Amino acid sequence: MTQYAFSLDPSRCSGCRACIVACQDQNDLEAVAFRHVTDHEAGAYPDVRVSHFSIACQHCGDAPCVLVCPTRAISRRDSDGAVLVARDLCIGCHSCELACPFGAPQFASDGRMDKCDLCHGRLDHGLTPACVRVCPTRALQCGPVEELSARKAEAASVRLLESLGRGTVPDGA
Amino acid sequence: MLSRHGRDLRVDAKIPGEDTGIAIRKTLCSICEYKCLVDAYVKDGRLIKVEGSPGNPVNDGTLCSKGAASRQWVYNPDRLQTPLLRIGERGEGRWAPISWDEALDRIAARLGALKIESGPESVVFFAGYPKVMRPFLKRLAHTFGSPNYCTESSTCFAGTTIAGLLTYGYGLGQQGGAEIDQTRCILNWSTNLFYSQAPLGNRILDALDRGAKLIDVGPLRSLPAERADIHLRLRPGTCGALAMGMAHVIIEEGLHDRAFVEAWTQGFEQYRDYARQFTPDVTERITGVPRETIVAAARLYATTKPAALVTSACTTIHHTNGVQNHRAVTALIGLTGNFDRPGGNHIVPSSYYRPTGLAHREHAFEQTRPWAEMAPRVGQDRFPVWCRTVPQGQAMALPEQILGGAPYPIRAIVGFGLNHRMWPAPDHMREALRALDFFVDVELFMTESAKLADIVLPACSTFERNEFSISPNRYAIWTEQAIAPVGQSRPDVDIIIDLAKRLTPEDELMAQGHAACLEWIFAPAGLSIAELENHPGGMFLAGRPETPYEKYRKTGFPTPSKKMEFTSTVLAEHGLDALPVYREPMQSPVSTPELARDFPLILTTGSRLPMYIHGRTFRVPWLRRLHPDPTLDINPADADARGIAHLQWVEIATPRRALQVRANVTEYVAPGVVNMIHGYPGADANELIDPDYLDPVSGHPGYRSLMCEVRPRPAANGGSR
Repeated sequence: MTQYAFSLDPSRCSGCRACIVACQDQNDLEAVAFRHVTDHEAGAYPDVRVSHFSIACQHCGDAPCVLVCPTRAISRRDSDGAVLVARDLCIGCHSCELACPFGAPQFASDGRMDKCDLCHGRLDHGLTPACVRVCPTRALQCGPVEELSARKAEAASVRLLESLGRGTVPDGA
Repeated sequence: MLSRHGRDLRVDAKIPGEDTGIAIRKTLCSICEYKCLVDAYVKDGRLIKVEGSPGNPVNDGTLCSKGAASRQWVYNPDRLQTPLLRIGERGEGRWAPISWDEALDRIAARLGALKIESGPESVVFFAGYPKVMRPFLKRLAHTFGSPNYCTESSTCFAGTTIAGLLTYGYGLGQQGGAEIDQTRCILNWSTNLFYSQAPLGNRILDALDRGAKLIDVGPLRSLPAERADIHLRLRPGTCGALAMGMAHVIIEEGLHDRAFVEAWTQGFEQYRDYARQFTPDVTERITGVPRETIVAAARLYATTKPAALVTSACTTIHHTNGVQNHRAVTALIGLTGNFDRPGGNHIVPSSYYRPTGLAHREHAFEQTRPWAEMAPRVGQDRFPVWCRTVPQGQAMALPEQILGGAPYPIRAIVGFGLNHRMWPAPDHMREALRALDFFVDVELFMTESAKLADIVLPACSTFERNEFSISPNRYAIWTEQAIAPVGQSRPDVDIIIDLAKRLTPEDELMAQGHAACLEWIFAPAGLSIAELENHPGGMFLAGRPETPYEKYRKTGFPTPSKKMEFTSTVLAEHGLDALPVYREPMQSPVSTPELARDFPLILTTGSRLPMYIHGRTFRVPWLRRLHPDPTLDINPADADARGIAHLQWVEIATPRRALQVRANVTEYVAPGVVNMIHGYPGADANELIDPDYLDPVSGHPGYRSLMCEVRPRPAANGGSR
């Protein structure tokens, strides 16, 4: 099995929330949103950091929601590790919501759980999830975990090598 | 495989194909006019999803939150369905649906009568959003005989063009012609592309990945500020002083391009002498930016070659000292030898709102009658420099002329997407609209302004029409009509063409239609709409001559002195400061200390949140839910001093008006500064601004620096109003 995952580069995330809307458009969601974007501030003027984070279902390898679901409505798909809900089996007991560390399970007006399905129908067709596709800064990525970590390792290595070659940052930076 | 709803997965995942009945049609988004290319997913004639078109140099598969919400924009319940004739009192909201023929016949008859009674200049032709119809509307206005073609550029972008024309003889173009993709140092001056033109923001991040340096100038802690090597967090309205302070460092340390300055500039000695006043100490005192930071930024920008100055369409010019601010800022380009050089700021002539450098006849198409054969334009007496440099009337002068009747009466407006909330003191412009004899508004939605019209015409969105667009790198598209128009709505351009058939039947070219006119405009570049139709996703217009660098070496600068003018000949002729002299905003803690006693905070408005642009997307539910209440940004220090808690309802007041909003207590703004977007329904920041709070050179409003106070509203706490 290949485990797929989302990956976010906070240094590229502008907090624009296109990921939230693209997901709603993809999944015909009216009031519910599968993604959540948080704005975060650290420090005080003039030493401030303002950053953003976009999160949805993390499609955990050992997903607590799968374990706690009393009707086995939640399962993992073998081909990519997508954690999926069969909504017709859901009884709306909210156990998954209690168990999930990321606030992923949402409850639509029919009372049943709904959440990100990794756009597995798009993955099957060779497309990235809608939230990844829309991301204007390419901050949000999705792929096999090995690929994601290799990509990050390479980017970090290039940055290190670049800074070795360039010397110091000017005063006031 | 089944979806989570127990249905066919490919259908629920909206996979295009014969089995799912889903087709992709190639269109574009013009909500913000950056014109990202869009794949419209269409099933049974309905739009079911949008996605950025992949593999193009505009947005390469991505969209922003606004574009991603296109479906709720297109199928918004507020969409106008038919032409409407007012049957009640003006603004009462009672309408009778009428046919297109009846509507257009009535408009033509009324405008024809007004032309005879009060002259063609009594009719104003106004273009708001979108911009695609502008050349057609200007042509109609002037062929009709009216000089009064006005646009929303009366508040935006034109001031940067004026500044460029005065100093360099060129409008510098969007982002000031910055070659982001090739530069080694970006001086990003008060623009957050991530919230205004998202795909361009991504190119800044890519430049950083390449190892480019980033200096960010701006009062807000935006992503460019976060990622910058140096962030200069200046007091709003002081950018002219900051630029002069940087010039001081550059000149004193001999970091300027002496060869360029000696050979190609006018007035350098005066400029240098003037810059001497702006020592790092003085500049720190004015701008609030620490002196070491100013020096470091000046050195980094001047010593990294090439360096590109990225400017905003509006932030520097939305001050009462705006054009001179922008002149001071952009003078740094020439001073450091980055003007019209690779990786610096490259001047590429625009046509159709994009700097493509393609040969065209847009001006000939538009200006069917010379100015001399028409009455003076709206605003010509108040803003002569505007009228000398911008081929439009200055619409900021409209309310006074409508209400006062001088120098001649304005009796009618034919508006396309006219929104009175664009004007400072929008209530004042609203009053003017009510006073008109005849007002036509062409709109997608029944807006507040449209409610004041005599006849409202329904326009359609880009998804429902064919549209030509071209990107700066000459990627051109003639879009497909992705879906049938909503109701009886029609393309803006077609509406103008049908009006022209009635009002200016002598105009044979316009009568040939949209595509024929585009081909006429771009005939020198050999544009063929039929060829574009064969490439539904767009194509590069290859084989046309590239725009050279350092054009001045051949022909000199297109200024009166043939040089870059540190001292503007034109401004001197009009009795204005020839140098880019720094003046305090008309309201500031320095210029109006007595006002600052009661209104001690600096209000800066006009900035963006990522989900809203002007008044256009508040009605889109997906977007409104992302930011459901009006807010202002206030620093924790100022909030604490006033006993204001995060997200508490507060009152923001200027001497003119007070609004109720929630306080977003945040380090996004510096102490002493309050930031607020404009146009929020029920809490429009523009209402806080006086109607005459304008830059005397451009006429642009000083949205971005005025004085205010914020007070808690204890009675309204707990989330209710």
